[in-house]
Amino acid sequence: MVGHEDSGASKKKSTDSSNDLPTFNAENLQNNTKIIYYSRTFLSIIGGVIAGILGYTGLTGFVFYFLIMAITSLGLAAKAKFSIHSYFDCWNRLLLDGFLGGLLSYVLFWTFAYDIVHIF
Amino acid sequence: MAEDLVLDTAIRDWVLIPLSVVMVLIGILRYFVSKLMRSYQSPDAKVVKEGQVVIRARSLRAAANFIPLKSFRARRAYFSNEENGLLYVPKGQVPNAQAQMFSDPNMAMDMMKKNLSMIIPQTLTFAWVNFFFSGFVAAKIPFPLTQRFRSMLQNGIDLSTVDVSYVSSRSWYFLNLFGLRGLFSLILGEENATDDTQRMMQMSGFGFDPTKSLSAEKDSLDIVQHEWALPKFEQRAEEVLRRLVS
Repeated sequence: MVGHEDSGASKKKSTDSSNDLPTFNAENLQNNTKIIYYSRTFLSIIGGVIAGILGYTGLTGFVFYFLIMAITSLGLAAKAKFSIHSYFDCWNRLLLDGFLGGLLSYVLFWTFAYDIVHIF
Repeated sequence: MAEDLVLDTAIRDWVLIPLSVVMVLIGILRYFVSKLMRSYQSPDAKVVKEGQVVIRARSLRAAANFIPLKSFRARRAYFSNEENGLLYVPKGQVPNAQAQMFSDPNMAMDMMKKNLSMIIPQTLTFAWVNFFFSGFVAAKIPFPLTQRFRSMLQNGIDLSTVDVSYVSSRSWYFLNLFGLRGLFSLILGEENATDDTQRMMQMSGFGFDPTKSLSAEKDSLDIVQHEWALPKFEQRAEEVLRRLVS
């Protein structure tokens, strides 16, 4: 499992600093995208377990999911030192990519933790 | 409406956890089996050559702005020249390639093997779940659903007054099926064959057609506008050096 501390360290610069025509190193871009995906998946699982333990039900749980995703975006942006264009090609990729992909894993682990803690 | 059922701890010990553990293990097993069973196809020389030509044309398109206009034009003519350009394929050859691709026994076998290795464990697990774990409430999902989902989620439970949130183990199986994809991608690395819905989408758009990709490359090469970037690089170099020195 890609550790959360390690994942940021292997982000690489994919563009040069002051460019009129941005050029991208495709391999680094792909690597960074993969890191985003792993971080989101990992955090959605952890968030699911937390939501289950805390006993969120219904809408609160979904709001919590979006909160977790927002925190992920913020954390990734902070790791990229807010100079998005030297690591990714556009803002949308960092903020919205894989947003809903972790939803199913979140629901699974949320249900699991909720049941184990509260019902049984 | 919310009468809280108290469920037996034994359900948790003997249904939820074993089902999840079994699904994770089957996923790992399937990953390794598919790795072992992957047959090595010796690549066809013609296909490889065409693939390389496409890659060359693509890099020309990507880096077009770093070479002077005349050399870009020369390269583009080399690719898309009507008579002997590399990307130009006469129409007569189109049906040949497609027919060959689909009647190729190796590729068909490979696709079938991949499909089977995905479908069989799912079917077996589903049958196992239905046989052993039916007829009781297995879990409670933390969010409310409408009454229409009742028949889907509560198939073994015949009481109509039970809250829709209390689901049977079949729905727990489906929840696991979709939710463990994320987990598999974390623990197995990127190359895992458990992402069935995405692969099914890939399969439907399969038709690998070399001639179509060649003509697509040719078209996209034709529409590239050349804008030489190098004159501006002197200014960039100046800025960088200034920043370094100051």
